[in-house]
Amino acid sequence: MWKYRTLYLISIPGIVYFLVFKYVPLLGSVIAFQNYNLFAGFGGSPWVGFEHFERMFSHYDFLRILKNTLLLGAYDILFAFTAPIVLALLLNEVRLTLYKKLIQTIVYAPHFLSWVIISGIFVGMLSPSSGIANVILGWFGIDPIYFLGEDSYIRAILVGSGLWRDVGWGTIIYLAALTGINPELYEASEIDGAGRWKQTLKITLPALLPVITVLFLLKIGDFMDYGFERVFVFQNPLNIQNSEILDTYIYKAGLKQLQYSYATAIGLFKSVVGLILLVMANSLSRKATGESLY
Amino acid sequence: MKKLFVSALIATMFVSTLAACSSNNEPSGSASAPASSAASSEKPSEPAKADPTGFSISMRTLNVSYVEQHPDINKDKYVLELEKMTNTDLDIRLIPHNEYQDKMVQMFATNDIPDVVQGSGGISGNELAGAVPNGVFLPLNDLLKEHGQNLLKFIPQEAWARMTDSKTGNIYGIPEILSNPSRRATWIRTDLLEKTGKPVPKTVEETIDVLRAFKELGVEQPYAGRKNFKYADTFFGSYDVLGYLNSFKQFPDGKVKPSFFDAEAMKKALLAYKAMYDEGLISKEFATVESADFKSIVTSGKAGMWSMNANELPIWGAQLMANVPGAKVALIPSPVGDDGKGGYGHYNPVTRSYFINVKAKDKAAEIVKFFDWMVGEQAELFFSYGIEGEDYQTDGSNVQYVAPTDEEGTNKQRYLNYWLWMVQDTTYNKRIADLSEPGKMMVDAFDNMLSKEGRRGIEFEPRLEALVKYPDLNPLSDQLPPLVLEHVLKMVYGKEPIDNYEKVLEEYLSKGGNEVIEEATARYNDKDNAFE
Repeated sequence: MWKYRTLYLISIPGIVYFLVFKYVPLLGSVIAFQNYNLFAGFGGSPWVGFEHFERMFSHYDFLRILKNTLLLGAYDILFAFTAPIVLALLLNEVRLTLYKKLIQTIVYAPHFLSWVIISGIFVGMLSPSSGIANVILGWFGIDPIYFLGEDSYIRAILVGSGLWRDVGWGTIIYLAALTGINPELYEASEIDGAGRWKQTLKITLPALLPVITVLFLLKIGDFMDYGFERVFVFQNPLNIQNSEILDTYIYKAGLKQLQYSYATAIGLFKSVVGLILLVMANSLSRKATGESLY
Repeated sequence: MKKLFVSALIATMFVSTLAACSSNNEPSGSASAPASSAASSEKPSEPAKADPTGFSISMRTLNVSYVEQHPDINKDKYVLELEKMTNTDLDIRLIPHNEYQDKMVQMFATNDIPDVVQGSGGISGNELAGAVPNGVFLPLNDLLKEHGQNLLKFIPQEAWARMTDSKTGNIYGIPEILSNPSRRATWIRTDLLEKTGKPVPKTVEETIDVLRAFKELGVEQPYAGRKNFKYADTFFGSYDVLGYLNSFKQFPDGKVKPSFFDAEAMKKALLAYKAMYDEGLISKEFATVESADFKSIVTSGKAGMWSMNANELPIWGAQLMANVPGAKVALIPSPVGDDGKGGYGHYNPVTRSYFINVKAKDKAAEIVKFFDWMVGEQAELFFSYGIEGEDYQTDGSNVQYVAPTDEEGTNKQRYLNYWLWMVQDTTYNKRIADLSEPGKMMVDAFDNMLSKEGRRGIEFEPRLEALVKYPDLNPLSDQLPPLVLEHVLKMVYGKEPIDNYEKVLEEYLSKGGNEVIEEATARYNDKDNAFE
């Protein structure tokens, strides 16, 4: 203990930060079991047990909202999680450094746009009268489609816009991992007669696996947190059947109506589901690949 | 070295605890009041006064650019002048416009409540987070009798009613009022109307005929539509089926229901919109037109007819004429439905309101005097024109004032007329409007046309419990409830037959609507905070 005192000392600010900003606010979750009154505080608000959870589960649209949340989460893992890996592998094959840097800069850029701007861009691009998407469809003689006015396209638009925004950003960590691979491995495999494809399969991917696993597990933990804003900016009554998720419902039913206890209850439900998924995925991955978060 | 570590550590812990305990409520103005700025400049003509009363007040920025771009509003020369005139020392805390409700709730939650809190509307608005029933504010009845005689004369009874707890009779706030709650108007491009050779349309049918003629002229959007029918509810108004928070009606069966329960009338409105959609008189993609797009569609001359607040006439009109040479615009009576009436949803008669913190009891009399001064002659001159000798000249009876035309000048004028003048009749500023032609047109429209139109019914404040419980049935101030809006929009887009509207009402009833109607009827019969 005394031997490493300086190490302990410099770790204290971090520990204090987590205590003050992460652990203390967790105690605020008790308001999910109360009828929280702002002025009475959580010392003085009446306890109501699981009333808010019952209200949530008995809501006539609960199953639809949950289905949307799960589906969007699943699509997001299927497409938005795998795309950066593929892109990083492709970028890794580009030999011309200048060209590679240029591509990287272009794909990073959208990450710094706010969702409001992105929705503006997408609404413009998908507009039936002036949008580029419908102009292209027009070349093939297809009538303009009002993409945002349909339930059927909205999930694709949500996942697609997220993909476009963050795919470049997601490659950073993979590219960093790729630079750490020992080039001698590739040289040795070439002598053994492996082509580029075999090398990717037998050397690059196994080297990336630990990083992929960790990121995947973190993503699973956020499975229910698709994000409020990214959905809200695309929503309208014509596509709400398929785009209403827990996050947007919390905003409408909880925060806007000052129903903080109800909003907290839904949030808590999301966190608990996320935790269960994380623990399950972690033990599965430890058994399957030997890689895990803890 | 070790000492340094320890002190650094203590500092870190101290800062993080501080940060955790302090509220993260950061108004853009400074929190420190300029203590001596007002006191040091007294008018020589008056005898030495008592020390100025210092009090803090929270105010929403309301998108007023003069305020939002000001480095420190408390040092603004007009604020200083106001302090001089009223012998006060204000500490204005700005609340960002777009995060108003969140920041207000935060303010109450952290118990960092200023001496005066500005609300928007009556005593039960969401932004007050239930502060009134929790005893945060002072009842003002006696103070008003003693120090607020001008306020009592100036503010009509119906506005006081909104500030009063009907159970105890206590008045909790001082309201800013809207003497004419019919704010929105139907606008038309008169130059295009002349080209069609048709007279100004009166009924829904005539209006749609004019829109068809606009279409033939090649107008891109004869009627400018917008997301969720916001500012595009003209024809719902004609048939009186708006269904907003203040549109409850007593039906023949004695029950109090939202106005869209008149199924026949609603179907007529829907047929009108559907015809417009099918014939291309309204943009095919109006369901995704946001407010900024809407404004640019109108001011770039793509629209022939639309709905907008009447007091935008001088501003939007000027922008339109600048962009489209030869464009002319006028406000016309809104299209009438079967009962010969039309118009848009009326606004709440109270716009902003001012509540005094219980903890500021000892200053409360002076604060009431401050607001009482706001409805006097001196205040009217100051808030209309600015500082005498600097912004305007006067010889006692005549005022010489040149209305600004540059952006900086108009921003300043809007700030004085609209933002800093805390208690007034905010329908329009008569003194400024009389200076220009569009301004006179606007006043004429307000006084002689809009005052006769518009739709209103029964309103409940605080709102019905059932509406809080069932957010899908809860209308916004100017939008149908989400559940109804979804079906109605699909009917206009042809995804659902209009004949299904009765089924929509059944769905409304089965998903909590029965509770809404029961509660509304009971409260209406008990006269429990129901306003007509």
